[in-house]
Amino acid sequence: MSNFVGLLQNENMKIYRRSSAKVMMIILLGLILAAGLIIRFGSDQPKSDPHWKQTLIQDNKVNQKQLAQMKGNKQVANYLKKTIAINKYRIEHNLKPSPGETIWNFMEDAAGNLILVISVFTIIVVSTSIASEFDTGTIKLLLIRPIYRTEILLSKYISALLFTVVCLITLFIASWLLGGLLFGFGGVNEAHLVYDHGTVYQSSWTLAIWKGYLLNCVSLFMTVTFAGLIASVFRNGGLAIGLSIFTMMASSIVITLLGRYDWVKYVLFANTDLTQYTTGTPIRDEMTLGFSLAVLAVYYILFIFIGWAFYTRRDIKA
Amino acid sequence: MANNAEAAAQPAVRLEHVSKKIGRKTIIDDLSFDIYGGEVFGFLGPNGAGKTTTIRMIVGLMRMTQGNIYIQGHSIKGDFKQAIRQVGAIVENPEMYKFLTGYQNLIHYARMIPGISKERILEVIKLVELQGRIHEKVKHYSLGMRQRLGVAQALLHHPSVLILDEPTNGLDPQGIHDLRNYLHNLSREEHVAIIVSSHLLSEMQLMCDRIGIIQKGKLIGVETVNDFIEKGSSKVRIQVDDGRLAAQTVKDKLAIDAVFIDDTTLEVPVEHEKIPVVVDTLVVSKIKIYSVIAVAKSLEDRFLEVTGGKSVE
Repeated sequence: MSNFVGLLQNENMKIYRRSSAKVMMIILLGLILAAGLIIRFGSDQPKSDPHWKQTLIQDNKVNQKQLAQMKGNKQVANYLKKTIAINKYRIEHNLKPSPGETIWNFMEDAAGNLILVISVFTIIVVSTSIASEFDTGTIKLLLIRPIYRTEILLSKYISALLFTVVCLITLFIASWLLGGLLFGFGGVNEAHLVYDHGTVYQSSWTLAIWKGYLLNCVSLFMTVTFAGLIASVFRNGGLAIGLSIFTMMASSIVITLLGRYDWVKYVLFANTDLTQYTTGTPIRDEMTLGFSLAVLAVYYILFIFIGWAFYTRRDIKA
Repeated sequence: MANNAEAAAQPAVRLEHVSKKIGRKTIIDDLSFDIYGGEVFGFLGPNGAGKTTTIRMIVGLMRMTQGNIYIQGHSIKGDFKQAIRQVGAIVENPEMYKFLTGYQNLIHYARMIPGISKERILEVIKLVELQGRIHEKVKHYSLGMRQRLGVAQALLHHPSVLILDEPTNGLDPQGIHDLRNYLHNLSREEHVAIIVSSHLLSEMQLMCDRIGIIQKGKLIGVETVNDFIEKGSSKVRIQVDDGRLAAQTVKDKLAIDAVFIDDTTLEVPVEHEKIPVVVDTLVVSKIKIYSVIAVAKSLEDRFLEVTGGKSVE
């Protein structure tokens, strides 16, 4: 076991000592800063509304009317129901909505977009970690140690996922600090209102942010595993990076186009967005959270098994 | 070492009927030989003969189609960890992580084998004389320095089998001399079995105790360096007053194909013991002899003789 910790230390050293790791961190921080500045100075912050209860009551009347006219579109109906419920809850519990952007809103916005960036970075890290040693020839000196190839591959995979965790923690801390500086730390104690099957309750924003990170990371996790598979099979980092980023980007468009076919539910990327069961609408009505988790598990086992088989069995000719 | 006698009985590396097929092509064909602790074994062969493939099979980078390889009695197939633990190696070029320093590279390999102390790392660095620049990134190293760092990583864990592919590549004459002395010490004093492959045949002649020659995936022979060279037909060069007459005389009387070189010189292919007979014959025939010189054969001559002077097929 202590041996495996040593392997993780090795892989971490090889990830973070590369200049590319520093560049990625700088890009990540730069994007957070840019997003903050654009939101803060790109639009006027609305003033605080002293008659906010009346405004909310007005809003809800409009929403109710719209809801009554709604037919068919479940997604919009759900959104309206949620807005009405939360507004009611605010009025009843005297919870004034903050005007404009708050520290937590900013963190939520930053998460949605920047986890895509973190996905791309982790794809690069995992592909480089697995494939580049074949290009440089260092794989020969790496594999002639009393360690099975399975352990080497596992240490590379885990250290790449740890890189994701490091990025997420960086994202959390940086967006919290920047959000506080730009939009005021006053909003820190604000409660997070959750709408769950018709009822509303208060929850912690920190929890909500990390839950968002986790849900967004399902797609990241599967794409990174896919990149690892390609890198193991073809021993070509560029191919692994290109193919997995392309797949990830193209998937949402393709899935939407294929939404009317029954079999689309078995496609990996129809199941990676688990928010379709929490806040959104499933791609097909018959899909459930359990179904998606099962599909994800099957793909995952397949990826891991094929990648492992190729990495451990093939001759090293590099 | 106390167990020298015992260790000598068991080969450090044993290849048993090893074959490697890729597709339908047979790369290595039924290779069997033993290498013992305390000897430097030279692995010779033209390019493409299968030297590197064999070395890769010994260290487990390639699988063999048939046969087995044992390192200190442990099968590289069935007992990989125990077998490879005995081995330190450079396979082809010593490719290290260029974005890390020399020291970080050594730490990296030290973490993969239990029981390597920091003192050992420093000791090895001193041995290959990299103390001054060990904390620089490897990308700033010269080829010779990389080679020495490669030797350092191979020695970290006190291997009982050391495999060096082209170890003198990139070393200057002083470096080659030092490496040769060091390898001799390792084999004599620490009873390490050393496998060296090289194209520099003159280098092999100085460095190795035994050599194995491989051609087209087959082992042509395993012999000690001295036997190998002497087995080749030796020649004497004789200076006489009349070369033409002398060559004719040797041909007629001894049925040996003497070669007439110029007016006063002939070359006679003859075994060592028969040289006096040739001289006697010439003396009896009243030919004046000014000198008799045995033409020494180098490993290179012998190598070209055995492999038919061809390189890649």
